Amino acid sequence: MNIVKTVNGEETTLAVEGRIDATNSKELQDAIIGSFQTTKNLVVDFEKVAYVASAGLRALLLGHKTAVSKSGVMKLIHVNDDVMEVLRMTGFQSALHIE
Amino acid sequence: MKHRKLGMKALAGMSFLAVIIAVTTCLTIDIRYKKERMSEYNNMAFSYARAAAEYIDGDRVLSYIQTNEEDDYYRGIRNFLEISQRQTDLEYYSVFVPYENDLVYIWDVGDEEGVRSLGYHEAYMEGGKEAVSAVFCQNPPQKMSITRDETYGYIASAYSPVFNSAGDPVAVVGVDLSMPGIRRGLFHFLMAVILSVFGVIAVSMGAFYVFIRKNIIIPIDRLNKAAKDMVGSLEGEDTFHVEIHTGDEIEELSESFAQMNLELREYLKKLSAVTAEKERIGAELDIATQIQADMLPSIFPAFPEREEIDIYALMDPAKEVGGDFYDFFMVDDKHLAMVIADVSGKGVPAALFMVIGKTLIKDHTKPGRPLGEVFTEVNRLLCESNKEGLFITAFECVLDLSTGDMAYVNAGHEPPFIAGRNEGYHVRSVTPQFVLAGFEEMTYETGELHLAPGDRLFLFTDGVTEATNTAEELYGMERLELVLCANAEKNPQELLQTVKQAVDEFVGEAEQFDDITMLGMMFRKKKDNLTLRAELASLETVTDFVNRFMDGCGYDNKFQTQIDIVVEEIYVNICSYAYPDGIGDATLELAAEGDRLTLTFTDSGFAYNPLEREEPDITLSAEEREIGGLGIFMVKQIMDEITYQRIDGKNVLKAAKYTEK
Repeated sequence: MNIVKTVNGEETTLAVEGRIDATNSKELQDAIIGSFQTTKNLVVDFEKVAYVASAGLRALLLGHKTAVSKSGVMKLIHVNDDVMEVLRMTGFQSALHIE
Repeated sequence: MKHRKLGMKALAGMSFLAVIIAVTTCLTIDIRYKKERMSEYNNMAFSYARAAAEYIDGDRVLSYIQTNEEDDYYRGIRNFLEISQRQTDLEYYSVFVPYENDLVYIWDVGDEEGVRSLGYHEAYMEGGKEAVSAVFCQNPPQKMSITRDETYGYIASAYSPVFNSAGDPVAVVGVDLSMPGIRRGLFHFLMAVILSVFGVIAVSMGAFYVFIRKNIIIPIDRLNKAAKDMVGSLEGEDTFHVEIHTGDEIEELSESFAQMNLELREYLKKLSAVTAEKERIGAELDIATQIQADMLPSIFPAFPEREEIDIYALMDPAKEVGGDFYDFFMVDDKHLAMVIADVSGKGVPAALFMVIGKTLIKDHTKPGRPLGEVFTEVNRLLCESNKEGLFITAFECVLDLSTGDMAYVNAGHEPPFIAGRNEGYHVRSVTPQFVLAGFEEMTYETGELHLAPGDRLFLFTDGVTEATNTAEELYGMERLELVLCANAEKNPQELLQTVKQAVDEFVGEAEQFDDITMLGMMFRKKKDNLTLRAELASLETVTDFVNRFMDGCGYDNKFQTQIDIVVEEIYVNICSYAYPDGIGDATLELAAEGDRLTLTFTDSGFAYNPLEREEPDITLSAEEREIGGLGIFMVKQIMDEITYQRIDGKNVLKAAKYTEK
């Protein structure tokens, strides 16, 4: 997994590439939590994410909760069908901001 | 009656010969005897004639004619003549004087009538005058004249002149002999001769017949009988025995017969030995056929414990022992090898070569060894022991039951048919290489195919496609493909039997020229497992293993991604919770069968049933959501079946998903 971080004013964008599994979800989680230390809003670009397991979902949920606690917003963009199916299955589709 | 012919022939022949001999003998004797008798009669007649002529006094003869008076001398002479005539066979004894026109009797004596008195004039008999004139000289002929006369009958006459003292002939003495008398004597003699000749001949013929019978006919009959008995008893005890001691060719013939009997028996003995040898060879060929059949795996199901595969094969040899063979065996726990081959030629040489080929291929097929290398080595070894110029076309493939990868090598053999799951059979073009045992330096390349679970394989020899019917048509690839596709849903055993039946129906009454050999295999289930230390760091190994397994099963991306998630969630679960001290193994077994994929996770950690865990409420808002519990929840969502069992101190979690649900 590879994460490219770009900061644009109050918004940080994390472009994630690769598989998000139990071995690397901590990395994503740290990147997400870390972003809220500098900016209020976070955009997570999943265009190049083909796979997300529950560990990745936990990172997203934690990120969402952090955003809420900091009155910020976390958005998921460019989610492909397979990952969307996982989000739908777990109810994250409605719980998270997905564009 | 047949066997009496020889005797009859001999008898007839001898009779003919005897008659000729007898007739010739009789004639010869008769002629010879007659001549001598006549000469004797002649001499006798003349000697009487001469005796009388000399005794009679010529000077007194004429006086009796003149006087016609009988005196004492006259009576003395008559007495002499009468005594002489009575003492002999003379018919007439007379003395007469010949004149010009007649003759005048002086003395005449005889038994019969016609005895003339003194001075009786009588005319000459026919030819009498000439005969008498011829005699009336100094040297009369000494041959009797024979005449037939009404008065005197059939007589022979001898004449002798009577001379007077002056030496002139004055009268003739005539001696007549009766020819019938002479003839009667001759006839009696002839009769005696004939009787004795025929008697002798009959006796000798009888003796000769007896001789022939004893020395020829009876020995030949014996030989004949012995020969008949010999023919009847040639195969039994030697009872041939002929007692013939004729000391001639027949004895020799009997010896030849005895020799022939011995030689015939010897020959028959050899013949029966040869026949027995042939029967023995036939019996051994039957055994060879049985051994050959036993060499081919023929117990089905072949691997009842292997649910991954269903395999069936059959060989129908054209002759007693065939040159085709098939083989299949497990190279190791995960690899199934299948071979089909056809040795050039037929009968025993092909069968022997087949045994070598089959053994070599099986021996050299080792786990992990590329098939190209196997065939290269087998080819080299076959070339070493191939002076007969035989060769083998062969196809070998080794299927990895855990991956579906199938390595193959094709040495000039027919390409395989492969059918995808729920599809028909199609020829899979595989590049043929050179036949085995053809050329020592040959190297063979390994080819790669892939079978998905549910795929089927059909291997065959040219005996199938080149089966010929009475119209000289070949069965051919098209008919084969049609029958395969029409029966694609059948299991290998049913399929092969159906194909065999179709070929048999096609061939009909025509003779089967080549072995018909087929092998069918269905890759029912792909199965693989992985055991490793349960730790998060190995997650990639696990997912790689799973993805490798699923590749080639025909699953779509979404299906594979979901399975990835399930595997990860369960595996992470085991890594995180099964072993409190963090050290322990986990085993994952994958099985693809039909449209069902089964995952089985086993660990030896403490008993824990993740299915009993309370499910998270996914309707809650993100803020209210718990962090944990999502993994197992997703597993339940994705999989169609999931069960947990605690077996032998192990946690066994089994989850299955169908592709088309």
